[in-house]
Amino acid sequence: MKVTIKILLLLFICSLSVSAQIQSLAKHAQMNIDCKSCHVCDTPTKADPCLILCPRYKLEVVRHSPDEGPDHIIIDKIKVEKDLYKPVQFSHRLHSEMSLMSGGCSSCHHFNPPGNIVECSECHEPNRARTDLSKPDLKGAYHRQCMDCHYSWDAKVECADCHELNSSETESVRLEAMPSKSHPKVKEPEKIVYETGSDEGDLVTFFHNEHISLFNLECTDCHSNESCAQCHSQKEKVERPILADAHENCSACHDTEDDCTSCHMEMERAPFNHFKSSGFSLKKYHSDVSCISCHTAGGGFTGLNKNCISCHNFEDEDFDHGVTGLTLDDIHIENECADCHTETVYSKVSCDTCHDEDITYPASLPGTKK
Amino acid sequence: MEHPHKPTPLTKKFFTPWVIVLAAIALNGILFLLARFVFGIGAVTNLDNQYPWGIWIGLDVAAGVALAAGGFTTAAIGHIMHNDKYESIIRPALLTALLGYTFVAVSVMVDLGRWYYIWHPIIMWNGNSALFEVGICVMIYLTVLYIEFLPIVTERFIGRVNLPGILSRFNKLVNTFLIKLDKGLDKTMFIFIIAGVVLSCLHQSSLGTLMIIAGPKMHPLWQTPILPLLFLLSAIAVGFPMVIMESLTASRSFGLKPETEVLNSLSRFIAPLLGIYLIAKIGDMVIRETFVYLSELNSTTILFGIEVVIGVIVPLRMFMSPAVRESTKGLYIASMLVIFGIVMNRFNNFITAYNPPYALDSYMPSIGEISVTLGFIAIEILLYRLFVKIFPVISIPAKKSLSKTKFAIRGAAK
Amino acid sequence: MSQNRRDFLKTVAAIGTSAGALSALSPNKVKAKSPENLSEERMGVLVDATVCIGCRKCEWACRGAHDIENGNIQDYADEKVFETNRRPDYDNLTIVNRYESSDEKLSNVKLQCMHCDHPACVSACIVGAISKKKNGSVVWDTDMCIGCRYCMVACPFQIPAFEYHKALDPKIVKCDFCDERTMEGKLPACTAICPVEALTYGKREDLLIEAKRRFKNNPDRYYQHIFGEHEIGGTSWLYIADKDLAGTVFPKLDNRTAPGVSESIQHGLFAYFVPPVAVYALLGGIMWLTKDKKKTEGK
Ligand code: SF4
Ligand code: SF4
Ligand code: SF4
Repeated sequence: MKVTIKILLLLFICSLSVSAQIQSLAKHAQMNIDCKSCHVCDTPTKADPCLILCPRYKLEVVRHSPDEGPDHIIIDKIKVEKDLYKPVQFSHRLHSEMSLMSGGCSSCHHFNPPGNIVECSECHEPNRARTDLSKPDLKGAYHRQCMDCHYSWDAKVECADCHELNSSETESVRLEAMPSKSHPKVKEPEKIVYETGSDEGDLVTFFHNEHISLFNLECTDCHSNESCAQCHSQKEKVERPILADAHENCSACHDTEDDCTSCHMEMERAPFNHFKSSGFSLKKYHSDVSCISCHTAGGGFTGLNKNCISCHNFEDEDFDHGVTGLTLDDIHIENECADCHTETVYSKVSCDTCHDEDITYPASLPGTKK
Repeated sequence: MEHPHKPTPLTKKFFTPWVIVLAAIALNGILFLLARFVFGIGAVTNLDNQYPWGIWIGLDVAAGVALAAGGFTTAAIGHIMHNDKYESIIRPALLTALLGYTFVAVSVMVDLGRWYYIWHPIIMWNGNSALFEVGICVMIYLTVLYIEFLPIVTERFIGRVNLPGILSRFNKLVNTFLIKLDKGLDKTMFIFIIAGVVLSCLHQSSLGTLMIIAGPKMHPLWQTPILPLLFLLSAIAVGFPMVIMESLTASRSFGLKPETEVLNSLSRFIAPLLGIYLIAKIGDMVIRETFVYLSELNSTTILFGIEVVIGVIVPLRMFMSPAVRESTKGLYIASMLVIFGIVMNRFNNFITAYNPPYALDSYMPSIGEISVTLGFIAIEILLYRLFVKIFPVISIPAKKSLSKTKFAIRGAAK
Repeated sequence: MSQNRRDFLKTVAAIGTSAGALSALSPNKVKAKSPENLSEERMGVLVDATVCIGCRKCEWACRGAHDIENGNIQDYADEKVFETNRRPDYDNLTIVNRYESSDEKLSNVKLQCMHCDHPACVSACIVGAISKKKNGSVVWDTDMCIGCRYCMVACPFQIPAFEYHKALDPKIVKCDFCDERTMEGKLPACTAICPVEALTYGKREDLLIEAKRRFKNNPDRYYQHIFGEHEIGGTSWLYIADKDLAGTVFPKLDNRTAPGVSESIQHGLFAYFVPPVAVYALLGGIMWLTKDKKKTEGK
């Protein structure tokens, strides 16, 4: 009898602990993290979670946008008897904006488990004389964080660039200036001509401006995971990195598998011109329209009819004729479209349907022109 | 016991034009020495953190010790093996060794940054240090040399003590003391003679150990674990040529008849000794395959070539020829070459071979260093000249009246 | 004559015993100075050249900690010094040099005494003024030093500097691992000030583990070799960098201890004074025999 009770008790305890493990597993699982980011072994248990020492370069589970963070942070955690410098004012907003172009928040917040953002000082000891040597002390951690980028692009970076001397008389003004401060506008190139050495045509002319203004790409669509030093380099001239896969950035939109000649040519190509390539000018009404709002059928940008109605459904009650630049007056607004536009080419207007011959377009207007 | 030659103080006048030239060189050296002690080593030498040792160690000390080897090699052959034939050259060799080692000690002192602590090694020991061993051995050996020289001093003064003025009443007392001392020394001298040879072997070889610790900083042509052996062998080989060179120079300078017979029989030892040294050196090169470095032609390999070819192989061949050995001129040139070879070897070991890892340019001895070195050599020669005038060192070819034993003379003085 | 011979024997014996007594004395002395029994607790510094930013704050702090005029800390930002390859000297026990690393990037490396586990300087010093302490530091006693500069000849890293400009009381100077500070429980001055903690102070053992951890976590960042782990028998200061430092920043050295060869020769020659005494006896024997022969002939 006693034995059975004991066994039952044992079973109960076991099931409890198992369920406890399953619960925590479930929590972890929700977070969509690779187990290996925290555990070294295949089956971590509660008794032996076999956690890795510090997942310096791995763990980031929460993403925030730059505006969620503070605009600036005063770093004054390190105090010695005689401070040479004033606390450092760190423009967090500016840096987080810039970080979007490279590693994101995790380029600094490298250990970022679910929950609150972990402060540096929660892991990094303020005391340099310590036994755990696996992470730098707080001072080292701060400086490394900054210098990893700042030094890599400018070996001349000086202490005074971040630290104001305590002895300096001038009152600090940098703080106020900070929130509005953001990364200076990058001077973007108009076009880049790549000499690819390819048989299909040596030159690829890449119009950077078109991709932004015409195709509405965001910087980060192409520039992600780039180190600051790619632009800010110790060396005078930045050399363009050779892409491991030369088509990496292009193939997201272009067919780089089968269609070589649209990019690879024997000579530099002219900027993209919709009228030249299709006979349909975008100048008048379509300059702000993104490509895919017309070229809806994926996989190609050809095959559209120049007729307006191939895209526009002007029969729609709500059509505002004003978008054409001509606002119809009260009389004409009641007309059916076809009353005036007798052909499918909507630029042609016929007044004969209602009027005598002496009234012609555009000598007489059915409304007011903008 | 017959002494065909009897050492006597020479009566030639001290000053000759050469002596005046030497005195000028000595004076020049002394001036730079003064500068060294007043303004420091940096002011006079080209030494720096990359090249801590220059010719003051490489030549004055290392080559100096090697060239003073005549003292122990002649003692070994004359005293220990009782080859009386060589008696006449023992004293000049002893005097050279004495002066040589004295100047080695002085040179060390000049080179020491904290020279006033030169006595420290006597009480502060580091058995791991080759330099400690060299230092201690040289100190003891120097004492031994002085003791070995004492009988010559007593011989000179026994029966001739003539203190000036009021002290003259102690003449007799001093004389008795000298006789007692002489007797005591005569009984125990063998201790010192053997000790001298043992000590010489020890520090001549340890001098070679010195640079081994420099490890890869030393050019592989010279850096070898058998450096101590090479140093010992080369020191033994240079001992007799040094004695021959001196004897010939002295006899020329003092207008005596060269002791060709003794020197000739002495020179028979040189070729085998040089040969052994050469075999050890070449053998080591072959075993360690360092000859590959000879394929490049640069100042280092050229200096190595000069050292081995002109300094060892050529004189080896010369000493093998009886014709050379019989001619005074041949003997002189061949001996000079051996001496040159050993000096080169020491210079190469301590200076040419030493390549500090971060040096931007190589070491060249400064005017000051060269002046001091030359000055010391000049002073040494002058002192030698002075000593042989005061003490019975050099043997004058026998006259019948003088061919009595030394005790017979002294007995007369008693 | 027989009297003579007995005397001779007696004296030889007397010298033999006194030499024996000497030898009984000296090995102890020798052992006391020898660093054979290295402490497990010995400290070291891990220098990570990929982290160092060349600010030279360490130079400033080191001078300050050793009563050397160190001037204004702001002046150390001057980049001009990097144009020459500097070496530690009597007025600067440590220096930071800039070098071009593998991908044409500039890196910096701080140099000072390596505090070897088997220091050549300790073995060489004629008076035993230099010693390796339990905590790993190689320190020296200026009062003992005679200024022979043999330590400078011996040191494979060409570290000890000498005050050549002084006529009186010139000293040997090198990094002393901030012996005074560490005895007070403080960090060495350079490791305390380094803003980026390019210099990690800790037990040598732990530092080796940490260095390997960094290699594993950042295989691309490092040339996977700890300079000083085995070189020259191991050093207390360990270096990791993005390229092989041997042959550029440091000389190429093998793993045998620096004083190994010379000490074994030295001890071979003097093993308990047996070889010298043996030679002595041999020569004495020869002398005695030839003497005997001659005397008999003389009769
Ligand atoms: S680096 Fe040189 S000075 Fe320093 S402990 Fe090693 S041998 Fe001695
Ligand atoms: S440990 Fe001390 S003495 Fe050595 S370099 Fe650092 S600060 Fe200078
Ligand atoms: S203080 Fe640190 S970062 Fe600065 S130069 Fe020295 S080792 Fe490098």
